[in-house]
Amino acid sequence: MASVCNSCNRAIASDDRAVKFPCPSCGAVEIWRCAKCKRLSNPYRCPSCGFTGP
Amino acid sequence: MEVGDFVEGGEVLIDMDQYLSSGVHIGTRQKTGAMVPFIYRARPDGLYVLDVRKTDERVRLAGKFLAKFEPERVLVVSARQYGQRPATKFGEVTRAVVMPGRFIPGTLTNPSYKGYMEPSVLTVTDPIADEQPLREAAEVGIPIVGLCDTDNETADIDLVIPTNNKGRKALALVYWLLARQVLRERGELAPDQEFGVSVEEFETKPER
Repeated sequence: MASVCNSCNRAIASDDRAVKFPCPSCGAVEIWRCAKCKRLSNPYRCPSCGFTGP
Repeated sequence: MEVGDFVEGGEVLIDMDQYLSSGVHIGTRQKTGAMVPFIYRARPDGLYVLDVRKTDERVRLAGKFLAKFEPERVLVVSARQYGQRPATKFGEVTRAVVMPGRFIPGTLTNPSYKGYMEPSVLTVTDPIADEQPLREAAEVGIPIVGLCDTDNETADIDLVIPTNNKGRKALALVYWLLARQVLRERGELAPDQEFGVSVEEFETKPER
């Protein structure tokens, strides 16, 4: 199953320079951010604890 | 107010007066849209002031976040002179890799370069001054923690620590707090245990 960007909810292409990291708040969920959302600094939200970044 | 005292909105990592005397809250006369959520108010002289409580909260989160990675896989960069000593000391204390001063382009992207490295997370002292490592980290897809002032854009940054990233004392205090928090999260320092390193040791000494 393709990973989904936590900011725009779009599937992340395999060649996308996306980033994944554990949620800074709860660490339970892996947050995915696509390159575009990262560059535009679009906010992401942890589906587990509700933490909003960046 | 002492360490861990309860204040409105929760506990703070250190005495609020120490935050204020170090100038962690002092921003700039410019603000960016990305930093608006972290700005407390604008002073009559036009200077934007950061919300120290949010700085405190983000230092905690960043400490927790950085502690999840292997110490040797954490890279800290600081092109800014006042950030070099705090970053180096942070590296000594937490065993992170530090690159003070000029960042050689290709360090994260060019495997042919002898200084090439593959960190798991990057911490930048100033997204403007550290633009090159920021761009390279985004290219290789590693998370980025950034110390951002009111005039910084947060493009490519995954976790913002809102702070004065220009002040000598402010940078020392933020890196000191971050180092202490990382050790606490790793379990190398008990929550009530005294941190054996002083903030002054993190400070860049002014030239005479």
